[in-house]
Amino acid sequence: MKSSVLMIAMDEWRYWFRSKLVVTMMVVALVLAVASVITTGLSLSHESHERSELQNKAEQAFESQPDRHPHRMVHYGHYVFRTPAPLSTIDPGIDSYTGTSIFLEGHQQNTAMFSEQGKSSGLTRFSQLTPAFVMQIIVPLLLILIGYSMVSRERENGTLTFIIIQGVSLNKLMFGKFIALLMAGFVALLPLIIGSAVAVTQGEALSVVLSFILAHGLYVVIWCALVVFVSTLNTKNSSSFSILVTLWIVLCIVAPRIAASTASSMVASPSKLEADFEVIREAQALGGGHNVSSADLSKLKANLMAQYDVDDEGDLPVNIRGIVASKSEADLTKVLNRFAEKRMSEELSQAQIARQFGWLTPVLSLRTASMMLAGTNLETHHRFLREAEILRYDFVQSLNKVHAEKLSYNDDVNRYKNSDANNKAKVTSKNWEVLESFSFTPDTATARLMKSIEPLMQLFAWILVLLILAYKTRKVM
Amino acid sequence: MTHFLQELKRELLFSLRQKNVKILLVFGFLISVFSVVTGLMEINKQQATIERLVEYDQADREHVLKKYDEYGNLAYYTRHLTYSPPSELAFSAIGQRDVLPWKHRVRMLALEGQIYETDSDNPELAYVGRIDFAFLISILAPLFVILLLHDVRASERAGGRYDLLLTTSKHPERLWLTRILVGVLSLSVALLTPFIIGSIISGANGLDVLLVLAISVAQLIFWAAICYWVGKIDASAPQLASMLLGLWLATTIVVPVIGAKAIEASIHSPSGGDIVMTQREAVNGAWDKPFEDTFTPFLETHPEWRDYTKMNASFEWKWYYAFQQVGDLTAQPLSEEYRHARLLQNERASLIAWLSPAMLVQRSMTQIAQTDTLSMMAYEQSIRDFHARLRHFYYPFLFKASAFDKKQIEQRPSYSPDKIKNSKETL
Repeated sequence: MKSSVLMIAMDEWRYWFRSKLVVTMMVVALVLAVASVITTGLSLSHESHERSELQNKAEQAFESQPDRHPHRMVHYGHYVFRTPAPLSTIDPGIDSYTGTSIFLEGHQQNTAMFSEQGKSSGLTRFSQLTPAFVMQIIVPLLLILIGYSMVSRERENGTLTFIIIQGVSLNKLMFGKFIALLMAGFVALLPLIIGSAVAVTQGEALSVVLSFILAHGLYVVIWCALVVFVSTLNTKNSSSFSILVTLWIVLCIVAPRIAASTASSMVASPSKLEADFEVIREAQALGGGHNVSSADLSKLKANLMAQYDVDDEGDLPVNIRGIVASKSEADLTKVLNRFAEKRMSEELSQAQIARQFGWLTPVLSLRTASMMLAGTNLETHHRFLREAEILRYDFVQSLNKVHAEKLSYNDDVNRYKNSDANNKAKVTSKNWEVLESFSFTPDTATARLMKSIEPLMQLFAWILVLLILAYKTRKVM
Repeated sequence: MTHFLQELKRELLFSLRQKNVKILLVFGFLISVFSVVTGLMEINKQQATIERLVEYDQADREHVLKKYDEYGNLAYYTRHLTYSPPSELAFSAIGQRDVLPWKHRVRMLALEGQIYETDSDNPELAYVGRIDFAFLISILAPLFVILLLHDVRASERAGGRYDLLLTTSKHPERLWLTRILVGVLSLSVALLTPFIIGSIISGANGLDVLLVLAISVAQLIFWAAICYWVGKIDASAPQLASMLLGLWLATTIVVPVIGAKAIEASIHSPSGGDIVMTQREAVNGAWDKPFEDTFTPFLETHPEWRDYTKMNASFEWKWYYAFQQVGDLTAQPLSEEYRHARLLQNERASLIAWLSPAMLVQRSMTQIAQTDTLSMMAYEQSIRDFHARLRHFYYPFLFKASAFDKKQIEQRPSYSPDKIKNSKETL
């Protein structure tokens, strides 16, 4: 049994090597795969280096600021940069569509700036030379071009009956052809495997890398099976070819985009700018960043004066302005976070609708699995936004604490009187060490593996369906 | 002539009787309908968003105006909405509108700290991409042409009728040309009809529509011609189609990708992070510096305020806004270099596009629909111009320390997207 399957596979390879076209296809696949791994790897290691350097620079700049009024530092703000995960060299996922740096300051949440696509020439909107794109879109097409006639050829030439008379069952023939095509697929997969192995040396978990390779392997299996299956059903090479190419257009190019359009029309996601107006409306009731509403303010003052048993706010051992700043930041942040969470959950439900189309097209299931494992998915970007927000809130509130505790009220209110008074209303630069150092890391390996289960199941479901179909063809013929 | 028309009619009926041709045409038609409908929906959504934003923005500005009675505070707290409305043809080519901002709210603070904010759509959906009409024509249509026309000759060869047709037909070449013409015609009808209806609905300029139609038909004819030419090779239909697909792959995917890499390598651009950091250091550093350090560079570009820079307190709004502007001036060389690099990049990309019909089609269509990089940069420039007008409106009140007069605020410039065109010329 085994030997005849292998012989069929070897025969197919011999046939391919005689055909210039097939050899060309294989070379093209290999060159593209290798080139994509190298260029993406190079540009990403450059990016990664640049961003961690910028992060250090931003932290040093903050801490080396001179003595100042603490609220100046709230507005001076801070920058955070997202350093890419090791596997994003293979699948940059949504990373080139999201900004990679955020400016953090008091009283507002800013958006991420400078996305790769935003500053690119626009030539790479459809295609990117990333290993992920090559594997997801180009390799299936090349597998089709190599293998469309594998079985249909035997029928067109009339050799199929001959083979079956020799005692080779149709399933065995299909399996042999499948193995031959799979070998070609794995040759194209090889650069990706090597690239992923490099990620292990950069600290990526082995389990994640293995699942990552598994997902891509399953995808190759699906396309190989699809090619052999269609080729078996067709009596003519040309119809097998047309059907497979149409399938490729539908599954790889059209269906994912229909998924995206469907998702965005099913779940409305108002722009951040629009949400900002609602924030403003709510914040107006709160006083808006620099102040608290008069009712809240008098209550706050009365409480504090009662607590410290003094009659005048100037006699308080703490600076009421710092307290007010801290309270208004806390109130405003609650509103900001509520809207930010709403926006993120809208984006996530859109993405989840689109991902459900993975049951209909394997390219979407692979894409989701691969992004989840590489840590270049939407959830990771959201976590970056959340962590940046926590950092923002912490340093702003630490500065407000300094404002309340280390700057006297009288110095504070008189600071614009003259330059001496201005100098008195400052605290030493030692206080700028409140900044926590920021380094963004991907989710834990387990978390990423868990999230990749559903898309992997979608891939397995495809394989299962194809297996059943292949088994059934024996009866049909 | 009538003979030719008869021939055309015969071939048309013949090709429409073929099942796979019918399926392909219906499929193409459905995708075209989908692209036009979702495109129109997206544009309606953007227009509705703009309408709402304009209304909110108006209300918010009135609210701020009620709250403050000082020019400095008003300038600080008032944000101004700027936006670039989608053109009538934007539905056919969304272009750069889903990665570059088309709406911003700015205030009179240093602009370099505000203008790079990007209120973009869901990044995961942007990554998956969308099918707009431009995508259909530039990327998918060649595939349809290849599927439809790669075997015009080869199928007759395979059927053994080739030699017979050659010897019996008076003009054998004309037979193939008629078949190809029939293919291009039927595909044009299937793909372009939804677009024409969409353009009528959105009220697009007739000339622009004709231009888009001409580009689309040119793209179809181009690929049909390649099919005709490659079809002369004596090979089986799938082999011919493989060669054609290889050509599609090379021009649609490989050329743009390599081109983009080459452009990236050939142009030095400052990183965006450097611009905003430079601006921030300049603005925040000013608080700790003597007033002259702000006014000296400020007066270099605004000499008209030479006699008004005397400070009467340790804080005055004129000084505050002067150092905001000095912050922008400090970052200006970097920012200009950054924009220059993007312009250069765009210029080189349009050269590369000549090697890739797909990119050429895409770029021309986004240009007509005003969703290309240049149009988006013109919008950015219009924000800069507006910001300058706003500053020049406030400066007299701030520097001359005029008493507050609410009536004056009515003269305050407001953003108008009509000026984007003018800004395009200054790019």
